[in-house]
Amino acid sequence: MSGPIHIRPDETFTLNVGPQHPATHGVLRVKMEMDGEYIVKAETVLGYIHRMHELMGENRTYPQVLPNLSRLDYLGALGYTHGHVLAVERAAGIEVPERAEYIRAITVELNRIASHLFWFGAFVMDLGGFTPLMYAIEDREYILDMLEAVTGSRLTYCYYRFGGLYNDVDDDFIAAAKAFIPRMRKSLKKYDALVTGNIIFRKRLEDIGPISAEMCRKYGATGPVARGAGIDFDVRKNEPYSVYPEFDFDVPVYHECDSLARYKVRMDEMEQSLRIVEQGLEKLPDGPIMPKKAPKLIKPPAGDYYQAVETARGSFGIRIVSDGTKNAYRFKLRSPTYSNMSLFDEACEGMMIMDALAMMGSLDLVIPEIDR
Amino acid sequence: MIKDTVKQALRDLFPEPEPVVEAPAVEAAEGEEEKKPAKKKEGPRVNGVIERNHAEHGYDIDVQCDPGELLAVVMILDKAGFFLESITGVDWIKENQLESVYDFSRYDFDTCRVVIRTRTSRSEPKIPTISKIYPGAGWHERETHDFFGIKFDGHPHLVPLLLPEDADFHPLLKDFKP
Amino acid sequence: MGTQNVPSPLEPIPSSVVQFAAADKLINIGRVNSFWPLTFGIACCAIEMMATGCARFDMSRFGAEVFRPSPRQSDVMIVAGTITKKMMPGIKVLYDQMPEPKWVIALGNCAISGGPFVFDGQYSIVLGADTFLPVDIYIPGCPPRPEALLEGILQLENKVSGWNRWKDPEKVEKA
Repeated sequence: MSGPIHIRPDETFTLNVGPQHPATHGVLRVKMEMDGEYIVKAETVLGYIHRMHELMGENRTYPQVLPNLSRLDYLGALGYTHGHVLAVERAAGIEVPERAEYIRAITVELNRIASHLFWFGAFVMDLGGFTPLMYAIEDREYILDMLEAVTGSRLTYCYYRFGGLYNDVDDDFIAAAKAFIPRMRKSLKKYDALVTGNIIFRKRLEDIGPISAEMCRKYGATGPVARGAGIDFDVRKNEPYSVYPEFDFDVPVYHECDSLARYKVRMDEMEQSLRIVEQGLEKLPDGPIMPKKAPKLIKPPAGDYYQAVETARGSFGIRIVSDGTKNAYRFKLRSPTYSNMSLFDEACEGMMIMDALAMMGSLDLVIPEIDR
Repeated sequence: MIKDTVKQALRDLFPEPEPVVEAPAVEAAEGEEEKKPAKKKEGPRVNGVIERNHAEHGYDIDVQCDPGELLAVVMILDKAGFFLESITGVDWIKENQLESVYDFSRYDFDTCRVVIRTRTSRSEPKIPTISKIYPGAGWHERETHDFFGIKFDGHPHLVPLLLPEDADFHPLLKDFKP
Repeated sequence: MGTQNVPSPLEPIPSSVVQFAAADKLINIGRVNSFWPLTFGIACCAIEMMATGCARFDMSRFGAEVFRPSPRQSDVMIVAGTITKKMMPGIKVLYDQMPEPKWVIALGNCAISGGPFVFDGQYSIVLGADTFLPVDIYIPGCPPRPEALLEGILQLENKVSGWNRWKDPEKVEKA
C-alpha cells in the first residue's frame, strides 16, 4: 500500500461522515480532513445516542435496571444481561443452580451467532454486496424464533434474573436448537463459498486497516479486533466464569492484523459457538432454575465489585460500587466498542476513505454501546 | 507469577505503611472480622497496595495513591505489559472528594487485574493525565471529565465527548439536578 | 365532394376529457404503493426496520423496500430509536430537506414519548418525535415486531389515499 499522494497538501477540505449515513452502525459522526481521497486527520464525535444508562443504574434498584442492559448492545443483548447478573450475584453472594448456568451459556452463544450474522450481512453491505444480508438475516430469524419462544422478545431480551432464569426451556427449544446446528454449518460453508473466496472481497480487505498488537494494548482493544492482531485473549478462557470451563472450544486467532483477519476471526467464532451449543445441549442437567433462597431485596455489602464477560464485541466489564443500599452508588459499564473505536482516529490517518470505512465495518460497532 | 512481581514493584513505591493482606472471608478469625468494620469506620484508607480475593471482588490488586504518584504506578504497569481497560470516577460527596478509578488487565494467561484509585478534592479536582503512556486514556478521561468535572492536566483535547459541546453540567455528581 | 362540416375552433373543450380529482386519486395510489423510506435508524428499532426489509417479512410486497440514503429522494422518514437533544437539530434538517409530500412514522416507544429512558434526572433525550416533527403514524413497542411496522405502513397508506388493501376486519364483523 503506497502512502497518500499529496496533490495539494495545503488545500484540505472537511468531510462529515455524518450522524445519518447508510451504513448500519448507528448515529456516529466522524469529521475527516481530506486531501483528495486520503484522510489527513479524523475526529470522532459521539453523544448522539447518549441516554445515560449509568445514571439509571444509580436511580433505580438492581432489578429495575435489568431491562436497560439489553438496550446497550441490542444485537448481543443476552451477553450484557449475563454480565450484569453475574456482577450482582458476585456482589450479593447469590448462588446459581447448574441448569440455569447451562441454559444461560447456551442462549448467550446463540445470541453471539445472531450478532455475528447480522454483522456479517451489514459488513458485506458496507462494501457493496447486498445479497449476503438477506441470507444472514434469514438464518438469524431461526435463532430469533427459538429465543422468542423461550424469552418472549426478539431483540432486547430480559431473560436472566438474579440467581437464575425466570422461564425454563422446554423440549421444543432443545429440538429446534439441535436441528439448527447442522443447518447453520451448511450456511457457514455457503458464506465461505459466496463471500470469503470472492476476489473483490479479498482485494477490498487484505492488508487494509492494519491494527497492530501494540496499538491494541495501548488502546485497550479486546475481542475480535485483538484476536485479529494475534493476541490470544478471550475472557471465557483467561478469566473463566459461569460454566465455560466445562466446554471444549477453541479461540480463533489470526496474526495478519488486517480487516480480513478480523473477518475470519468472527466467522470461525460462529463455528466455535455452535460447538458450545452442541455440548451444552448434551450436558444440560436437570434441576431448578432459581435458587431456593433467592433474596427478595438485593442489597450487596459495601465495596466495589467487577465482572468481565466476553460478548460478541469484546470484553464487557461492569463495576458496581455499592454502599449497602438497594440502589447502586456507582454503576460503571465498560463497553468493548468504546475502546475499539478509540483507536480509529489514529489508525485511519493516511488511508483512503473507502479503506477507512471498510476498517470501521470490521471493528463491528454498535453506537449505543459507545455512548451509553 | 506476574501478580507477585507487580505487587512487589508497587509496594516499593509505598515504603511506609504496612501492606494489609485482606483475609478471605472463609478463613478469617472471628476477632479479625469484628475488627474490620471498626477499621473502616475509623478513617479513610491510607495509600498502599491491598491484595483482594478475585472470586469475591473481581480483581486482584488494589492500589491507592496520590495524584502525584499516579504516573509512576502506571509506568510500572506499562512496563509489565498491562492494557488499560477503563477509567472512571466515583463521587464521594460525604467525604468531599472525587475518586478516579483505573482498571488494568492482561492479555496473557497470567491473569492479574489491577485497580488504581486516586482521590482529589471536590472543589478543585485535578489529576495528571496518563494519555502520554496509554493513548487510549484520551477518551476515558474526556468521559470522566464530562460526568464528574475532574480536570486532567496535560490532556491534549479535554472537550466534552458524550455530552453536547457546550455542556457545563456534570451529570454523575451526587448533587446534580437536570 | 364539397366542404366537410368542420367544427368551430372556438367551441369549449368538453369537461369530461380532463378530470383532476381522478388524477389525484390515481397519483395517490401510485404514491402509497411506493413509499421510499429514508435510511435513518438511530438505535434498536432500526434493526427491526432492517429485518422488515429483509426476506422473511418483506416490506417490498408493499413497495417500500427502497431505502434511500439521501433525504432528497425519499418520502417517508421512519424515526426509529431514541432522539437525543444533540441529534434533534440534525433530524430537523433532514426533515426539512425532504421534498413534499412527506410523512413521518414514529417507530417504537422512544420515538413516541421517550420510551424506557425517561427517569428523574434524564437530561439528554427528547420526549418523543412529535415535539418537533408532525408525526402521522405511531407504532408502539420496544422494539415493535416487524409485523407492527408493516401494519403501520398499511395504516399510512390508508391515511394518504383512503384506500384499503383489504376490508377492515372490525367493520366487516359489525356488518
